[in-house]
Amino acid sequence: MTAVAALIQVLGGLALAPLLPGLVQSLKARLQGRRGPSPLQPYRDLRRLWGKSGADPQPTTLVYRLAPCVVAAATALALLLVPIAGRAPDWSLGNDALVLVGLFALGRFALAAASWDTGSGFALMGSSRDLTFAVFGEPLLLLALLVAAFPAASTDLVAMSVAAGGSAPWGEPAHWCGAAAFALVVLVETGRQPIDNPDTHLELTMIHEGPLLEYAGRDLALLEWSGAARHWIVLVLAAELFGPHWGGFWAQLGWLALGLVALCTALAATETAQAKMRILRVPGLLAGGCAIALVGLASALVGGLV
Amino acid sequence: MGAAETAAVLGAVLLLAGAIAPLVGLPGGIGLCLQAGGIGLAGAVGVAVLCGAAPIGSGFHGDLTPALGVDGLSGFFLTTIAIVALPALAYGREYLRGAPRERLLVALGGLFLLSLGGVVTARDPTTFLAAWELMTLAPAAAILARRTDSEARHVVFVYLAVTHLGGTGVWICVLTLAHYGALANPGAMAEGGVAAQTVVIVGALVGFGTKAGLMPLHAWLPRAHPVAPSHFSALMSGVMVKVAIYGLVRVLFEWAGPVPLWVGLTLLAVGLLSALGGVIFALVQRDLKRLLAFSSIENVGIVALGLGAALVFLWEGDRTWAAFAFAAALLHVLSHAVFKGLLFLVAGSIERTVGSLHLDRLGGLLGRMPWTGGAFLVGAAAIAGVPPLNGFASEWLTLQALVHAAFGPSLGTGLAAAVAAAGLAATAALALFCFVKAAGLVLLGAPRGPRAAEATDPGPAMRLAPFFLAACCVGLAAVPGLLLPALVKLAPGAPAIGAHPSLELPGTGSLPSPWLLLGIVVLSAVAWRVRGERRAAPVPAWACGQEEEAALQWTSAGFTKPLVLVLQAVLRPRREVEVTRHGGLVASVSYRGEVPHRFDTHVYRPLRSSALAAAALVRRIQSGSVRAYAGYLLALVLAMLVLLRVGAIG
Repeated sequence: MTAVAALIQVLGGLALAPLLPGLVQSLKARLQGRRGPSPLQPYRDLRRLWGKSGADPQPTTLVYRLAPCVVAAATALALLLVPIAGRAPDWSLGNDALVLVGLFALGRFALAAASWDTGSGFALMGSSRDLTFAVFGEPLLLLALLVAAFPAASTDLVAMSVAAGGSAPWGEPAHWCGAAAFALVVLVETGRQPIDNPDTHLELTMIHEGPLLEYAGRDLALLEWSGAARHWIVLVLAAELFGPHWGGFWAQLGWLALGLVALCTALAATETAQAKMRILRVPGLLAGGCAIALVGLASALVGGLV
Repeated sequence: MGAAETAAVLGAVLLLAGAIAPLVGLPGGIGLCLQAGGIGLAGAVGVAVLCGAAPIGSGFHGDLTPALGVDGLSGFFLTTIAIVALPALAYGREYLRGAPRERLLVALGGLFLLSLGGVVTARDPTTFLAAWELMTLAPAAAILARRTDSEARHVVFVYLAVTHLGGTGVWICVLTLAHYGALANPGAMAEGGVAAQTVVIVGALVGFGTKAGLMPLHAWLPRAHPVAPSHFSALMSGVMVKVAIYGLVRVLFEWAGPVPLWVGLTLLAVGLLSALGGVIFALVQRDLKRLLAFSSIENVGIVALGLGAALVFLWEGDRTWAAFAFAAALLHVLSHAVFKGLLFLVAGSIERTVGSLHLDRLGGLLGRMPWTGGAFLVGAAAIAGVPPLNGFASEWLTLQALVHAAFGPSLGTGLAAAVAAAGLAATAALALFCFVKAAGLVLLGAPRGPRAAEATDPGPAMRLAPFFLAACCVGLAAVPGLLLPALVKLAPGAPAIGAHPSLELPGTGSLPSPWLLLGIVVLSAVAWRVRGERRAAPVPAWACGQEEEAALQWTSAGFTKPLVLVLQAVLRPRREVEVTRHGGLVASVSYRGEVPHRFDTHVYRPLRSSALAAAALVRRIQSGSVRAYAGYLLALVLAMLVLLRVGAIG
């Protein structure tokens, strides 16, 4: 069964990940009364990009060329850390939640450095906003993970996922608070409304798309895949740590699939109902999420004392 | 005398000879070589003792007889000093050649190293305090030997004033400890009562905290570090502030006995303030060296967070995690020494060739100075705390300590640790922001000034010294776990753990650093390979169809603007825009913007003005007239007679 988990980690991350943003876009279109693209559209985009040649903006150095590769590598490693249905094969990479936070940061570093390398104003605008959000998003992610790690007393993602299984966690206020905080993490890390608008074609409003503007061809394909894989990582984590799941491996796998569909629907509904926020108000929202997570932790600590 | 003792004595003698040689007319190069030999030997002794050799020299005592010795903790700090000092000395050989007062600077460098080594190996109060004072004075002299303009003199004045005012804390602390005999017998302070213990702890926090640059006692640091010669700055930021951490560790974990909970919580609070405050002010600096100086405050804050977590664990009785938190702090000491030394050396090379460290006048240096630029990029990634480099390893360990402290059992300490952990996460994100900005403005894009366009790499010594430190960053990143058992052993009552290359701790998913490093390198190479090299013709970056010109380039202020706006209420940035019009047409626009250092205006300025007001008040009775003083004497005698008469005294 661990072998199946390994297979889903690799194949799911590599092949199924683009389905998630595709599903969100397609559901969103339906909710908005449009026919919209097929959920398979991201695959078509990737195929098209793979056949095109890359761009060579001047003056750039190795940093620009290397960035898509580093981002893809960091994302691929992060994929291997996330357990599937409470199981993870031993890739000798550990399964630490905080290492995952670090790998996300590596991707951000590489892209921001590449933005400086091209010197493009739009790319830098995007990455400066992205980094500003990260200043509030990273503590939020850490606190949400901390609340999830509390029952297991460990930051091992496998142990955290096991501890979140069954019906017991749902009686704890901490679990609810953690879930609320993690919902905000999902919005930040996937770059969805109300925090960022993934559909924008106006450079001035771009956040996550901005640093990608100077890329084309296979570079862009790697970056687009990384974006899809981030959806996969964050949504699988949300389902594993805060979604309902119990029973044996196969039952949990079913719960995971259900959870992913439910989360995509929720993202589509949020994007339909919510307009993008003013950029300067996002940190307040994220700080609110931190406060919720801290309240959750306090309730868990009090519960532990009784 | 065993081999280790001989090596230690020889090291000290060589260092002393290296400090004296330039003063008696020998060339500076010989002095630097002697010093390098001396500090190298001392570092080797440190490594040996750290890795399990028996401690050498005398133990601690409270008498007046001078005594020296090396135990595990001293060994660790000696190693740290040597790792930074060796490349700094090699760098100094080329950096100082032909500089005015070269020999004096070499001699002062030797004196500085001698005093740093003296503090960590002193085994009695007199030697400790003498070395401590020398450690403060040597950099001040070096700054003045290089620059004598009024700005440098003012900086030195502030440096000496703040560190000496704070330094009284060290004297009070060490002398009280000596009085109670706690230096030789760590249990003695517990018998001295709460009041004496509190005096010792507060003295240590203020005294060592000032020298370490902990906020709000940091005012001297961002002033003094940038004006010193670069290899001195590397030693000051990389090592001197760490030697203050050494003092703090000795007092809080050994001499003061079991400390109460408030000490741990205070360290957490001060550490959090320094980490966040340091990095936020680093982010808004425009001068590279000033940015690096503020970032030292941040990193000392991270070390303080680790130490605070260790004290909280000790209070809770969890010795295992106390030892891990303690090791996290020490690992960060070493990590920061390595990459901050590297960054200051690189800053010196850039200043030498470009003539300025103003961030908005550099740019494009990675292609023009590949050695220096490459080392800077590694250092920036390491200090930004991205995996798989060494900054991430020590921050991960500190973060794990705080997260495990947040698991309880008590509500208060749990929440405090959770807030500190969240603050550390924000610090890491801010450090990434700050160093991506610095690397981008210095290394990438088009040159932002004529001299940056003509920059070239310096000579071999100035190339290889940062390169060596960059290699240390990668080495430390690959196998931090091999060092961990030695660091854990230094903590009080620590468990024995095995040595793995990875960081494997109970209650974590482990940080398999060698595999992570390998994974990132291999997967990036694979991605590079499958992507291929097919590219369209070179084009300029997209600027809405305009030609990309110098005036369109992004600046330091522009990149940090969103964050500064978000933190407006705290930072209170100042901004002036003046538009001059001629006949309805805009003739010129001038812009001035800055983020003031509010600690200076809101903490230090009121303190300074009230001190001056108090002095003015005292001066009013100090008229200088003999008659007035005779009057004071008479009044005093009369007052005492009256008091005697009414029976208040006598």
